[in-house]
Amino acid sequence: MTFKAFIIGLLVTFGIPWLLLVVVPYSTMRSLDPIEYGKNSDISGAFVPKRDGRIKEGSRIFGQEGCALCHTQVIRPTYAGNDVHRGEWAGLRKSSSVDEDTRRETIAQDYQQEDVAHIGQSRIGPDLSNFGRRLEHYLRINKSSRTPEKWSLMHLYNPKGVPRYEVPESGAQIIASWKSVCPPKPGLFDKVAVNGAGYGNLPVDIEGGIGIRPTDRARALVSYLVSLKKDTLGNPLPDALNFNPKAPQSEE
Amino acid sequence: MAETNSTADSKDIVLRSSIDRSLRHPVMFFFACGSVWMVLSTILGLVASAKKHSPEFLTCFSWLDAGKVDAAHMSAMIYGWGLQAAFGIIIWLMARLSRKECTAAGVILWAGHVWNAVVFYGIIRIMMGEGSGITYMEFPSEVWPLLLICYTIITIWSLIQFQVRDAGHVYVSQWYLIAGLLWFPWILVTAWVFVFLMDGHPLMVAGVAAWFKGTIFTLFFLPVALGSSYYLAPKVTGRPVYSYNIALFGFWSLAFLGPWAGMQKLVGAPVPQFIPYAGAASMILILIPAIAVGYNIIKTVIGNTEVIEESPSLRFTAAGIVLFLVFGVLSVALHTVPALKLTQFSYTGYGFDILGLYGVFSLCAFGAVYFIVPRITRREWLSRRFIKWHFFHSLYGVSSVVICAVVGGLSQGQGIEDLSQPFGTMAERASQIGWGVTIAWAFLLFANLFFCLHLFLMWARLGRRSSHPTLLNAHHPASPHGPEGEVDNYSTASS
Repeated sequence: MTFKAFIIGLLVTFGIPWLLLVVVPYSTMRSLDPIEYGKNSDISGAFVPKRDGRIKEGSRIFGQEGCALCHTQVIRPTYAGNDVHRGEWAGLRKSSSVDEDTRRETIAQDYQQEDVAHIGQSRIGPDLSNFGRRLEHYLRINKSSRTPEKWSLMHLYNPKGVPRYEVPESGAQIIASWKSVCPPKPGLFDKVAVNGAGYGNLPVDIEGGIGIRPTDRARALVSYLVSLKKDTLGNPLPDALNFNPKAPQSEE
Repeated sequence: MAETNSTADSKDIVLRSSIDRSLRHPVMFFFACGSVWMVLSTILGLVASAKKHSPEFLTCFSWLDAGKVDAAHMSAMIYGWGLQAAFGIIIWLMARLSRKECTAAGVILWAGHVWNAVVFYGIIRIMMGEGSGITYMEFPSEVWPLLLICYTIITIWSLIQFQVRDAGHVYVSQWYLIAGLLWFPWILVTAWVFVFLMDGHPLMVAGVAAWFKGTIFTLFFLPVALGSSYYLAPKVTGRPVYSYNIALFGFWSLAFLGPWAGMQKLVGAPVPQFIPYAGAASMILILIPAIAVGYNIIKTVIGNTEVIEESPSLRFTAAGIVLFLVFGVLSVALHTVPALKLTQFSYTGYGFDILGLYGVFSLCAFGAVYFIVPRITRREWLSRRFIKWHFFHSLYGVSSVVICAVVGGLSQGQGIEDLSQPFGTMAERASQIGWGVTIAWAFLLFANLFFCLHLFLMWARLGRRSSHPTLLNAHHPASPHGPEGEVDNYSTASS
């Protein structure tokens, strides 16, 4: 084996996968076709999930705080895992309080506005792809006075402190449990001297006039978490994504 | 050992010792700093693991939050220990095999200091919550080009030495080292440009970072470990490599498969579907180079089992190669399509990474350190007891981490897939296996503390002045040590 042959060998064996795995998919993924509503649908145009909140900033903080170590953000298709069927990870199921089954797999547009998709390393905690939607839903059916933002802040401050909501009709149990192994994040909160309640502070016991106030980082992170929704804006899912399509009308 | 044979001609001995002399400062620096990073990484690994089952542990320090400390733990292991150990091995082996003295030791040493400073800065930023937030590439953006510059200054001399060597045989070790030297910057530049500089789709950014993590193992750490093994196995046993053709096959199969690794983390994510499965397939096929290399090296050393028992370098190397075979077999089992459902998002991946980085790479690197350090310090290792402790605790520790994480991870993954179980039960199950991993890291901490201490004693030139190497078998009939105990007693007393 001459040195020249050796180098050419390295260039070829590395260059081909480098092009096929990295360069070409990276370039093609930069401009994706939108998912069109089918011809059968009443709605025209493309399906784009809606997100609002401090997404770019919150997503960065989500990564920096290492949340992706234990929380994934991907609903795999059924050939790759049972995620769609697990609780309300993939969307809300049809029930007495939910009109439409909105469960679906993750699509590339779900990560829009973020710098990096937090696929996640492991599932020590639940998948967060649809965290915002299911939290909102659980709080509503439990008639809680907390907003999703407040609940999330409480969770970050002390995961074992917030109440667990059980939703028997759908079998889903977890938003956060008392047995949660999620580490508390006191670093995201300031201790401030307060008189009385103190606007914006967490509703936790105050001793000696010290209140717990979320930092700006915590607010951005929570804004991002609450934005994690498999949102359809009230529209039905396009046929290509619909996990639970309507039975076709019999032709007459 | 072949090294001390009286048949070696005296000119050769002079050349070798002048090469060793020219490199003694940078190589010792890399090994010693690397061993400190390894101890740090082990401590961080212990904390990270403890946080998974006892979340309130050390909550008062927000820079030790679970996610951050885990990222710092892996970064310290890869960039603090792994790459620096690799630098020491590469510059020494390339100089020896090219038979050229190193003329740039000062520059290398200087770049080595900068490297340590940059890694330290990166890890501090991660712990302050100011990292990039990108899984597997957690250092902030500015760290990567600095690392690349240091890398280039440190390793360019080895390529030059190879170019200006007297024409002759190119050793198997040199294929691996040259290839690793060229692959690493290509991977790093690609990852840095695509992840940090260009504005890509978030999914491909995550994908490229996962590819980076996969390929720096298969195309840098593995080649360095195998290059070192292909040097040490024949050198210590005094026999030629068993088969040149198998070596050739093993090398090219790794070169062919390695670049595809990494993106299996994205199975099921909305990226082009072949990407993750190409990664999984390459990880399954990695069994082929593992068998080729394992068979070749084991065949090389197999006749001399007493040498494996005696020589610390060979014992570590042989253990690393056996674990490479285990890695290959496990890789097949964990990357098949049904297994991926369970392993993709469970503890298993962590155990598998540690098997690669600690079990395969680090054990081979320890073997090289035990071989190289006596030659550059011209002192022999102080204590066979320290070496034995290091060996057994490393082996037991890494086996425990891997077994707990892989088996526990499979049960965790199975639980997440099993819809009849609520998720909370599985989350709890996952946190229980964390206990095993924590205890195993305590073993590894013990092992690495002794390794670090031993290495620093050698650096301080407190090694034994002897022409006989430190062997592990105290009761060998032909023990060259003379009366037993003197030096060992001194070293244990002084520790």
